[in-house]
Amino acid sequence: MKSITVVLLTILAAGGASAADDPEVQALLVRMDDLYRGTASSHGKMTMRVKTNRFQREISMEMWSEGAEKSLIRILGPARDRGTATLKADQNIWNYLPKVDRTIKVPVAMMSGSWMGSHLSNDDLVDSSRFSEDFQCHAVQKSESKQGFWLLECVPNEDAVVVYSKTTLKIRANNEIATEVTDYDERGNPVRTMMLSEIDEISGRLYPRHIRMVPNDKPGEYTEMIYDEMEFDVRLPEDTFTLRSLKK
Amino acid sequence: MTTFKMAWRNIWRNSRRTLVTVAAMSLALMVTVNYQAIMTGLLSSLEGNILDLEMGDIQVFAPDYRDRPSIYSSVDEVDPMLETLEADGYRVTTRLLAGGLAASDETSAGAMVRGLEPGREAEATLIHDHVVQGSWLDPEDPRGIVLGAKLAKSLAVAPGDEVILLSQSTDGSIANDLYEVRGVLGVISDGTDRAGVFMLDEAFRNLFYFDGGAHQLLIRTPGDVDLGTAVEYLRGLWADLDIQSWRDLLPTMSQMLDSAAAALAVFMVIIYIAIAITVINAMLMAVFERVREFGVLKAIGVEPGRVFRIILIESAMQCGLAIVIGLTLSLPLLWYVSTVGIDVGRLGGASMAGMAMDPIWLGVVTPATFVIPVVLLIFMVALAVLYPALKAARIQPVEAMRYQ
Repeated sequence: MKSITVVLLTILAAGGASAADDPEVQALLVRMDDLYRGTASSHGKMTMRVKTNRFQREISMEMWSEGAEKSLIRILGPARDRGTATLKADQNIWNYLPKVDRTIKVPVAMMSGSWMGSHLSNDDLVDSSRFSEDFQCHAVQKSESKQGFWLLECVPNEDAVVVYSKTTLKIRANNEIATEVTDYDERGNPVRTMMLSEIDEISGRLYPRHIRMVPNDKPGEYTEMIYDEMEFDVRLPEDTFTLRSLKK
Repeated sequence: MTTFKMAWRNIWRNSRRTLVTVAAMSLALMVTVNYQAIMTGLLSSLEGNILDLEMGDIQVFAPDYRDRPSIYSSVDEVDPMLETLEADGYRVTTRLLAGGLAASDETSAGAMVRGLEPGREAEATLIHDHVVQGSWLDPEDPRGIVLGAKLAKSLAVAPGDEVILLSQSTDGSIANDLYEVRGVLGVISDGTDRAGVFMLDEAFRNLFYFDGGAHQLLIRTPGDVDLGTAVEYLRGLWADLDIQSWRDLLPTMSQMLDSAAAALAVFMVIIYIAIAITVINAMLMAVFERVREFGVLKAIGVEPGRVFRIILIESAMQCGLAIVIGLTLSLPLLWYVSTVGIDVGRLGGASMAGMAMDPIWLGVVTPATFVIPVVLLIFMVALAVLYPALKAARIQPVEAMRYQ
């Protein structure tokens, strides 16, 4: 999975040369890539709903991103967590905790841990792997008509830093947006599925307003992210992605 | 003249020979008594450390905790269990367990947070004795935490410094708070050294919004109750909980201790054989040197049984003398090994299979420390003297005279 701020950008818009052997798949990846090429920055607000068998909570947050490498997320509510912020820069994550007024870098050993109690891990936040560069993709199913779906199967390259053995993408033919992304473990069992829906268009770019992550091993649990506001190509202050602005 | 008197005179007729024999036996006793004390001490400190610091004798968890450690899998209704256990003479402490992140100004590291009640904990473990810097938890200081040695080192903190703990609360919110390092532990176990964070039960509940029972009960069995029996008894009481002896929880460690004990026993046998050869040699020579003498005894009409008895009594006297001298001389040495000990810290690490091992080996003196070496010495002497004594008793005077 990708950074949630740019989740679609990197999943759908794999940059660089396509790794697909199939020219048709390659063309698809290139078009998806083109859709978001040139996206320098984004800014938005979203709501994250986490439902587990133990608790249910809703967090509203504001976020900023630049490319796939940098992002800043600040929690707006609930009141107890307000002001808590996460900065992702390069491959590192820092959390700012207003209660103790400290910034903490998440150590490598904790990267697989949950981010803000959700079904996303810190690794997911920093994952900057690209399907076009780090995966070998082939089409399991091609769609002839505009109403159908493409089914792509992507296996990470040996040197890619990806914890999953395989990822499948279900792509709607008419808008070339992935609607379902499933990650598999080493034994080939699905680990989790991400569903993307409510495709919207902003400044000529399509993106899903609603993302739902369902872990396979925990029936009844999920994490939902709903983009309430989203803007692309915004001008961000230069110091947006620094530890100082994390504290603000 | 009585046999007894004759034997006594005999052994002093050649006092140098007697002294050499007695010295060999005394030395043998000194070595074996001290060896026994050190090995008993080593084994019991290995096992003692594991149980006193980390494991207890028996642990109780919620049924699914060990497979899937989760802050939600706790043993509830703890209080009646504690009452039952204490009424039966068990000592018990409760621990709350959770993972998290510990951070200092410098850096951060993964943490295993353990919440406990110091008063209760002191009943069941000795971990409070292993604080090497600062002090152990104090019920009056809810902000105080005690860290494992390596964790404190990697966070670069010392008592008095601040540490932030970060995790996830039971309600999904971010658990985070600022604590002050009260103390740093010595070597406990790899896990505790690297990630252990100890805090008050109450502080744990506040940090994690945790209101369940306890994740772990650490139980010490009464001295007279066998471990297996105790586990069976507790399983009978609470069939729905996961109740394990430390041997089940740490099978490798348990086997390692058993094989260490076996290896020590083998070394012991080798040492005893070496000593037996020395003693037997001295005894054999002492009898064979006197073949002519025994021949004379036989010639003047002493019956074989009496010759045999004289030799046995002589040996018994020498042996008794050696026991008195050997044990007396070994006392100061024993005092040294059991109070000062042997410092092996400089020889290498102070941990064995991931568990703490004191760098100083202290001898432990029990009745067995004396009884086993003494019994073995008597056995060896008897063995050594039986053959020459029989031979001397049966010897023909004429042959003995010619014996060179």
